[in-house]
Amino acid sequence: MKGLLEFLGLDVIVPPPTTKKTLSLGMQHGPEFACLPLKINIGNLIEARELGADTFIMAGGVGPCRFGLYAQLEKEILEDLGYKYECLVLEPPDKGIWQFIKRVKKVIGPVSWWKVIQGIRFAYHKTCLVDSLEKIVQEIRPREHAKGTADKIFNYSLHTIDQAKSMAELEEAYGLAKQKLLHIPRDETKEVLKIAIVGEIYTLLEPFASLEIEKKLGYLGAHVTRSIYLSGWINEHLFRGLFAPRHNREFVACAAPYLNHFVGGHGQESIGAGVAFSRQGYEGVVQIAPFTCMPEIVAHTIFSRVSEDNDIPVMTVYVDEQSGQEGINTRLEAYIDLLCQKRKAHAV
Amino acid sequence: MSYKVGIPRALLYYQFSTLWRTFFHCLGAETVVSGDTNKLVLDLGTAKIVDEACLPVKIFFGHALRLARENLDYLFVPRMVSIEKKAFICPKTMGLPDMLEASKTPLPPLIKPTMNLVSSQRKIDAFLWETGHFFTADIRKIKRAWREALEQQQKEELQGYYRLWGKNGYNPDAAATRIEREDKLVILLLGHSYLLQDNFLNLNLLEKLKRADCHVITPEQIPSELQEDEVKDLPKRFFWTYGRILMGSARCFSKIPENKGVIILTSFGCGIDSFVDNMVMRYLHKAGIPYLNIILDEHTGEAGVDTRIEAFLDMIRWRRQMDEGNFSSYGPYMGNNERTVGISGAGCDCTPANN
Repeated sequence: MKGLLEFLGLDVIVPPPTTKKTLSLGMQHGPEFACLPLKINIGNLIEARELGADTFIMAGGVGPCRFGLYAQLEKEILEDLGYKYECLVLEPPDKGIWQFIKRVKKVIGPVSWWKVIQGIRFAYHKTCLVDSLEKIVQEIRPREHAKGTADKIFNYSLHTIDQAKSMAELEEAYGLAKQKLLHIPRDETKEVLKIAIVGEIYTLLEPFASLEIEKKLGYLGAHVTRSIYLSGWINEHLFRGLFAPRHNREFVACAAPYLNHFVGGHGQESIGAGVAFSRQGYEGVVQIAPFTCMPEIVAHTIFSRVSEDNDIPVMTVYVDEQSGQEGINTRLEAYIDLLCQKRKAHAV
Repeated sequence: MSYKVGIPRALLYYQFSTLWRTFFHCLGAETVVSGDTNKLVLDLGTAKIVDEACLPVKIFFGHALRLARENLDYLFVPRMVSIEKKAFICPKTMGLPDMLEASKTPLPPLIKPTMNLVSSQRKIDAFLWETGHFFTADIRKIKRAWREALEQQQKEELQGYYRLWGKNGYNPDAAATRIEREDKLVILLLGHSYLLQDNFLNLNLLEKLKRADCHVITPEQIPSELQEDEVKDLPKRFFWTYGRILMGSARCFSKIPENKGVIILTSFGCGIDSFVDNMVMRYLHKAGIPYLNIILDEHTGEAGVDTRIEAFLDMIRWRRQMDEGNFSSYGPYMGNNERTVGISGAGCDCTPANN
């Protein structure tokens, strides 16, 4: 997103990385039962405002998940706090990306359509490359000799990819990062568990919100795959499947007979992904969701049946303002132990 | 032989009791509704569902499981996706039959039709057939039953409106004069119908308010056209029916010129209310109307709620006395702490903030 807007000549301020301070700002001003992403969002916006941002861009929605009203509620909260913000809401299903581009154009003035299209392609390409790097990292994490090497390289290359201003630079940065990752010394013979992470998109994509569960599982010796990657999401929701076949259709099909109707958010996809991954031979499913997330509660309830039918252990983690690490570490360790035992029992 | 159909007394049953009962009656089926909610029902439900689910859904499970023990032919668990255009009920009501089936208890066969009017009213036919084909293969008979049921339901809803507005149209001033004759405190009780009508869940709040000499108005007494009218000019339309009901009722209520307060009932963990209530409270705050937000959960101790309601009512009464006895001799707008008469401004100092 940042890539696109900068390409179009806007001055973009990305909120500083989410920290505890962000969260506490959000908690202070957001409604108590609201889900975690909203609170972090409010915190992000306040911090960005302090850096001088005057317009915020957000996706919208038509329900029934609460996300569709985020922008409106945030605007109201910020206004009551005395922050003046313009807000630019990208409303998906009905209008899609064109509506959004029209609005962006209104803000930035005359830009040729050609440039807009190029900008979108560039930004989308960027996210695709980052995602493919991340998949490599997920594979390396449990196997590398010196823990944390892959993550260090990944973080550094995020920066270089972000700096790239043209396709050529982008490809170069990507190639370099990939080479570095593939040269990390690792133990190829090690037995690794395969775990799928499913759940609500924000908690899946933002490591701070999920207490870095993905990384932790990786270090504990599991090859982790997520049900949602950013590029996939953009492809499905903004481009309506223009560039690649839509992935979530498969997941939705797998959700029957457990959950036969769309329940908003990613509830149905979570169930479907759980079933699909277990059929692909994954050994465990971890569901992550923000506390009080409505679609994921529905999914959680149904997971007990999925788990029994497919013989796959499912662990559900709700994340909230609680940021203590040890509790979650213990749970993850216990879960990994359980999976290892199960594997041994099968082997005998 | 007539079929026996069980209907759990929970969630949307409270809104559509007449509709469902008449419909099944006309189809020639006997309906069995579970009894009032009590501690046993709650415990039964809580044991069978994940902790994070909200209280009304837990109670729904309790009622459904209780009915499952009786000798029924069917259990009616509709999948209520949407009852009007471009608005949903809630993700949990959309997944209800699936959640119930995942509960690992023996259940009678479920009738689980999907009511989804979000894009078109015509989808109602599918709903009718999914429900009716268990009893008859004659689609005309089903439709006749539905028309009859709708008629009864509308009659009942009208009765609700008459109680507030009288029979001569919806005029806020006229409604106010009618209420004024009683000389009572006017309280708008906001909440979802299954909270307002379940006396176990809301700790008998309606009765308590009546005993405290209050005239209680509920969203059921405010016609949906009026509510819709009030929320039309919001920056973004609510895509939840209950959002429209709560916000619309609050805005409509603020037009009735009377001394008043608003009590908002929320169930713990309600996803929709976390947003809607916050917006309603911000609106009331700006309009200078005192409000009290009560969050209901599994606690059954009443004393805490009693104290809070008493304090809230006392506060409104004091405000009224202050407004009456504190007229500036220079006219209502001067030297009176920026207060106007009747609807007091600057409500923030009396309003319990953010609870």
